[in-house]
Amino acid sequence: MNRMSSENNLDKPKEDEIVRIDFAFRKELAEKVEGNLASFCYQCGACVGDCPATFYSDDFNPREIMLKVLYGLEKELIGEDSVLWLCTNCYNCTERCPQDVKPVEVIISLKNMLADRGIVPKTVSRIIDTFEKTGRTVQLSSAVTKERAKLGLKPLEEIPMDEIHKLLAPAEEDSGK
Amino acid sequence: MNKFAFFPGCMIPARYPHMEYAIRKTLPNLGIELEDLPEASCCPDPIYFKSKDKLSWLSIAARNLCLAEDKGLDIVTNCSGCTATLSEARHLLEDEELRTKVNKRLARIDREYKGEVRVRHIVTVVRDVAGYEAVKESVKCKLEGLKVAIHYGCHLLKPSKIMNVDDPNDPKVMEALITALGATPVRHRNWFLCCGKACQDEDIPANMMRDILSTVRDVEADILCLICPTCFSQFDHGQVRVGKRFGEDFNTPPVYYFQLLALAQGIQYENLGFNRQRIKPKILDKIETTLSHA
Repeated sequence: MNRMSSENNLDKPKEDEIVRIDFAFRKELAEKVEGNLASFCYQCGACVGDCPATFYSDDFNPREIMLKVLYGLEKELIGEDSVLWLCTNCYNCTERCPQDVKPVEVIISLKNMLADRGIVPKTVSRIIDTFEKTGRTVQLSSAVTKERAKLGLKPLEEIPMDEIHKLLAPAEEDSGK
Repeated sequence: MNKFAFFPGCMIPARYPHMEYAIRKTLPNLGIELEDLPEASCCPDPIYFKSKDKLSWLSIAARNLCLAEDKGLDIVTNCSGCTATLSEARHLLEDEELRTKVNKRLARIDREYKGEVRVRHIVTVVRDVAGYEAVKESVKCKLEGLKVAIHYGCHLLKPSKIMNVDDPNDPKVMEALITALGATPVRHRNWFLCCGKACQDEDIPANMMRDILSTVRDVEADILCLICPTCFSQFDHGQVRVGKRFGEDFNTPPVYYFQLLALAQGIQYENLGFNRQRIKPKILDKIETTLSHA
């Protein structure tokens, strides 16, 4: 990147080198709950120093993810094997951010976009499915049912799934359209 | 008696019933009464379901809060994940626009979120409502000589502006609760580190766990005390995996705080589930023997 160093040879950047802000992507993200937080990021990197996923992996960097959001680099964030799933959800970034960006929440909004496109790791979708079927994220085994009885604990009750399913259905009212 | 709406969540009742048993047995001894919320669903979890659709996540959390509003009771949670979801939902629903959106969904099931109840992690209820002195007085068998390392976990403390539990950079609550049992809390270098459970990768959580378990071993702690069932599963089953992977024996039994409190209050050892753990806290067996001969 020493394009600027040879003053006489100031080549124009090639068309495919120009970063163009993808406003459609940013608009879609902004419609998520707390989806517009990255706009306040000034790239200080306070989130990076205290991020365990960054410490333990070269692939994950919350400041870079925020920058990609600002530019709208959808392809680098939304796709199979997205780096977003490396986030440990520890909230250190949120504690450290001087701008209240809550990088972990931006990452969760991006995961919502992944889910909208049907791209979710199996381990994650299995838990989501269990919740949508039973109202719990942990399946009750017969061994635990027996153990509960032995301890004199009440059996776990059925969750009114009709209520849960009614709440899950997306609606026109959500987008205000 | 101070009464709370009990929100046990999924993991404790459906996977670790002994933790629920310990809570139900120990809290009345501290003057705290629990009332069940029979129609409650998963909070829903702040990692997986929240990743699918945050607005649906918020709506279901709001429904759970409504159940406590019906009873006019503040919620007490025993899982840091449930605390995170319900506290954050309560915080987000202070925003009028978002609350209107969620209430439109709740109207489908004839409910309305009003914002009338607080969400308290069980640790803060014990600290603020019962007090450390009451814990100390409830102890029948002091856990003298027991060296207890602490893993706070993330969602008890952070985001601190929403959780309002303790200083996330220098928390005190767990040390004080362990001291109240007569045991000795020991802080290890990696006390602040995340358990890694939510990270969808093999290497990152394995290395994190190895670092935590190594420092706990360095300070020669007898057990690792924690307050979140997700961290517990990571340090129990997960410890077996990590041990195999690195060819190391960490031998650090995890113990959920209320099981330890139950033991100190003289509640039967065999009802506390210690023998069902992968990494069994054998040292606690000795304490029980002392107790039965006392």
